[in-house]
Amino acid sequence: MAEVESLSHSGICVHDLKEAEEFYCQVLGARQNTRVNFNTDDAMRGRSVHGSVVLEDYLLALVVAHDYMPMPPEDQHRGAHGIRHAFRVSRARFGKTLDALRERSIPFEGPVDHPEKGPFGQSIYFKDPSGNFLEILWRRDEGQKYQKPTVLDVG
Amino acid sequence: MSGLQVDTINHISIEVSDLKRSEDFYHHLLGFEPLGRDLWPDSGPSVSFRTVQGQFLILSENPSLGSLPETGAHQAYTTARSNRDAIAKKFKQWGIEIHSYREDRPAESADNFYFCDPDGNRIQLVASNGQSAGEGNVQGIDHAAVEVVDLEWAEDFYINILGLPVDHRVGWSTADYARAKRWGEGKEDMAPGTRRWDQLYTENRRRVPRANSQVFIQFGNAVLGLFLATKHRQEPPEEQAVGSPRVAFRTSRRVLDDVAKLLEEHRKPFQGPVDHPASAPIESSLYFKDPGGNFLELAVPR
Repeated sequence: MAEVESLSHSGICVHDLKEAEEFYCQVLGARQNTRVNFNTDDAMRGRSVHGSVVLEDYLLALVVAHDYMPMPPEDQHRGAHGIRHAFRVSRARFGKTLDALRERSIPFEGPVDHPEKGPFGQSIYFKDPSGNFLEILWRRDEGQKYQKPTVLDVG
Repeated sequence: MSGLQVDTINHISIEVSDLKRSEDFYHHLLGFEPLGRDLWPDSGPSVSFRTVQGQFLILSENPSLGSLPETGAHQAYTTARSNRDAIAKKFKQWGIEIHSYREDRPAESADNFYFCDPDGNRIQLVASNGQSAGEGNVQGIDHAAVEVVDLEWAEDFYINILGLPVDHRVGWSTADYARAKRWGEGKEDMAPGTRRWDQLYTENRRRVPRANSQVFIQFGNAVLGLFLATKHRQEPPEEQAVGSPRVAFRTSRRVLDDVAKLLEEHRKPFQGPVDHPASAPIESSLYFKDPGGNFLELAVPR
């Protein structure tokens, strides 16, 4: 069995790389990373056309779709159009995140309350300009440190 | 610096192998007014022309100029829409082949045609609604296009360092790739350098049609197109700051000094500001290169 440690990155398709970079950098506070196939060496090698942004330590590759993708209905903000990425913010920043979306007139659903006994506090749901579903939430257990469970060599 | 303040393209300098032959071509075919031989500073044996709109074209002689590759690099002039037929007739008389293409950039999508000068320098005429510059003649320089090997470096230079705005981008969106597919199927005729076949290094090295990435940078009322080079070509030596082909933008002396300081801060090689003798059509120049090795100049008019 492969003992995977954590999720490293995801690749999502977008309709406009520049628009997507601006969305993830300006709205979500991501950092622009590399672009691929915008230089001669990449073109000569026939690499895929994509860029990437980094949110804290998570890399999201933004691949330019070569064909138009079906778009979810405009008024649907919550769903999984193939995939949904949920990003965590601290409880203290959650309100500011909502303000940032409102300032840019980005429609969202929520905040939606999660069960009090569960690890999640509240979530909001929205989409990027290419119709990729996104979620931002805060966790009730945000102060806790996670450790790999100790496996005792018994028996 | 809050963005480079330039008015427009002041002049374009290109290389030709035979001055006399090219002088006739640009004077008689396009209606440029010759200013004389060897009077343009830092251009060696050359012919200078003035366009109706007061911009200049300099032909620098390079007898060993080889055949020019078919790339996105070109120079573009505006011509009155009402003049199109007269120009087409003149071209036919001269036996010059004209090509019309579909264009990505909305500003060029209307009537346009391309042809080559005797050395293979590509020229584009863009239809404008302006006044005619005499039957069959062109009005002025609309834009120039050069090749770069890295669009991220180019963006950093033109947009972040020089602070210039973007006019248009090609190759960043699905719409561009959907159109490239039409080109691949032979359904759209596109200008050289705007489309390319990529050979994927996965999927059994399948060939796919793609938009060749481009960024158009606004320089006052002119535009410089940056086309991704699909091959590496010889670049000039690092220390060489003046050369041709070259695109020069019109600005003030204060800007020359500011940009010289800025280039020094960013450790980019440059030469000048240089003051020219009274006989020269321009007062002073600052010479530098972009990260693609393209020669650029800021020029102060008299």
